[in-house]
Amino acid sequence: MTAPAQPKAELVRAIDATQNLHVIGYASDMAEARRAWHEKKCYAVLEIPADYARRIGRGESVSVPFYQDMSLLLRYRQALFALTDVQMHEASSITASRLAARGGIISTVVSGLPVDTYAGIMGDPTQGFASFVMPGVLVLILQQSLILGICMLAGTARDRRRRGMPGYDMLYDGAGPVATVLGKSLSYLMIYIPISYYALSVIPHMFSLPHVGEFVDYMPFVFVMLLATCFLGQTLQVFARERESSMLVIVFTSVVFLFLSGLTWPRYAFNRFWLMVSDLIPATWGVEGFIRINSNGAAISDVARYYYALWALAGLYFVTAVVINIALSSRRRMKA
Amino acid sequence: MNTLIKSLRRGVSTLASRRIYIFMMFVVPLGCTFFFLSLMNEGLPLKIPVAMVDTDHSSLSRKIGRSLDAGELIDITMELESYHDAVAKVRSGEIFGFFYIPDDFQEEALSGRTPTLSFYSNMTVFVPGTLSYKGFKTIAVTTSGGIVKTTLSSVGVSDAESMIMPLGFDYHPIGNPWTNYSIYLSQSFLAAVMALLVMMTTVFSVCQEIKQATSPEWLRTAGGSMAVALAGKLLPQTVIFSAVGVAIQSVMFSYLHFPLNGSTAAMVFSMVLLVLSSQAFALVVIEWLPNLRIALSVVSLVGILSFSVAGFSFPVDKMYGGVAVFSYLLPVRYYFLIYIDQALNGIPLYYSRLYFVAMLVMVLLPLAGMRRLRRHCLTPVYVP
Repeated sequence: MTAPAQPKAELVRAIDATQNLHVIGYASDMAEARRAWHEKKCYAVLEIPADYARRIGRGESVSVPFYQDMSLLLRYRQALFALTDVQMHEASSITASRLAARGGIISTVVSGLPVDTYAGIMGDPTQGFASFVMPGVLVLILQQSLILGICMLAGTARDRRRRGMPGYDMLYDGAGPVATVLGKSLSYLMIYIPISYYALSVIPHMFSLPHVGEFVDYMPFVFVMLLATCFLGQTLQVFARERESSMLVIVFTSVVFLFLSGLTWPRYAFNRFWLMVSDLIPATWGVEGFIRINSNGAAISDVARYYYALWALAGLYFVTAVVINIALSSRRRMKA
Repeated sequence: MNTLIKSLRRGVSTLASRRIYIFMMFVVPLGCTFFFLSLMNEGLPLKIPVAMVDTDHSSLSRKIGRSLDAGELIDITMELESYHDAVAKVRSGEIFGFFYIPDDFQEEALSGRTPTLSFYSNMTVFVPGTLSYKGFKTIAVTTSGGIVKTTLSSVGVSDAESMIMPLGFDYHPIGNPWTNYSIYLSQSFLAAVMALLVMMTTVFSVCQEIKQATSPEWLRTAGGSMAVALAGKLLPQTVIFSAVGVAIQSVMFSYLHFPLNGSTAAMVFSMVLLVLSSQAFALVVIEWLPNLRIALSVVSLVGILSFSVAGFSFPVDKMYGGVAVFSYLLPVRYYFLIYIDQALNGIPLYYSRLYFVAMLVMVLLPLAGMRRLRRHCLTPVYVP
């Protein structure tokens, strides 16, 4: 390898010095670079033109091709951010030296850039992948595990009835449908309120995820989501024929609900149909509200529209859960 | 041979006996395909709602506003008067970022007092946060460059353009030049959905025999051979899942023209291998924990975790050591690596050879625990 000319070495050093990129070495031609990429030794190739130094020296503008492996968008984003910084920094230092070389009036008129820019990163200062996705996923885990638990309980009850060993069953105790729904919800909440505190407060603390929200903002907010989820679970229990099949039905929905919550693909880009579907899922509003309380420091009044949406869902699913309970108990009575 | 045919017939009739199998083998995979592809058919969520906070109200600041709004990335949905209003709107989720132009911006910029243009992006939501950052930065840089250029031209510099932009990078994102998110997310997520469904259906169909105590009869049909019994039960599922998987691939590659720069045969083969190795993974779990409820919980957990642990979005080499090792136990990880090499990048098959070998080895793993499973099938115990 020939000794690199000054400006080229300067550029490579600047790229290597960024936090996001690391230069593993020089390739003598593109074929060698491509082989390194095939062997996954590198994920990007910068092709510095042969006349780079000469053209910089002559005061022309040079475009440097950058080939990026696209298997992970996270890598692409990191490279993009790093190269933008390098470009800004190198450009202003090259411009400054060019202006100084011309001397005279010009160098006094323009001393550096006329405008500073400041990029403010809100919510997730580390910009890590885990720290962005995890707070939302924790909320979704609460909803999914609660629904799964309710449906498995209902499935187990049916399994037992089928095998003629009913155990304790509220339907036999003659409780009314409203009392059944509310009573069951209260016992689920007793379990899930401490779990929510663990998942939404202790876990972010343990793994140093963003966590700037106030307890008094996110706990009441999540409480309503849990309530809506309890009622939704008691609505869906009608599909739980046996203990295990509810698992088959509910597990894959976690992935669908993750997307519907707008965490990966923003909700403003949904079409009308999917927007409507996502509106009906408690975790959608739970995620939208919680991440803003947790990562942006919003108060519960800032996320009022999500909070009211959750109350609306709680009302809707309360009605459906009661209706389902009436239907189930009348079917049992007919059989009895 | 006769016992194999009998076992196969039994396997097929089980699949037809309950609606849940139709649901798991056709409705969910095809429904998820429709869901992902229709949700993200735009490729990029453009027109991110952001705000403009212009406290300068000068001709220059209005010009910046117009150029921001003209770009395809950003849509200025509101004009606000203060930083605090804007932060409140970000917190309430109405906007994903804002651009801030301070008082006396134009005057200070033209007199060389270096004012600061600031922009804020909410990284709490990854995609709009990143894209708005990109859109804001572009405008900030061109604004700054434009002012220098005007100043230089006014003092008689003719080559102002190359003077202020001496260096630029020409980006070539390989295989996905549109930086299309759907190409990137649908391919890996649908493969992981397939792996999850295959594992759950395998566990459900095998352990159901033990739960219902029909497993001794199941073994009798196979002439007492565990291998024949499993083949009879699982091969019909292999065929159906592979066909559904290839159908999903063809929707993406042929109908939507997602990049397929390498060999079609390699992709079809790797889908069949994904189905087989996921079945094998589930079988290993069953041999170890022959209880419907527990085995199903384990494969559900593994299947859901594989969405994050298989490294579709986060590089495996940056994960904690223990988690990174785990990712190499997942069949879908190898499918993903083959997809990257063969479909997205189209590099020679030679470089993917080890991934194929890994999946083939996985297919053989359940042979080790077969005797243990046979014992459990002969004396089925179900604890409710």
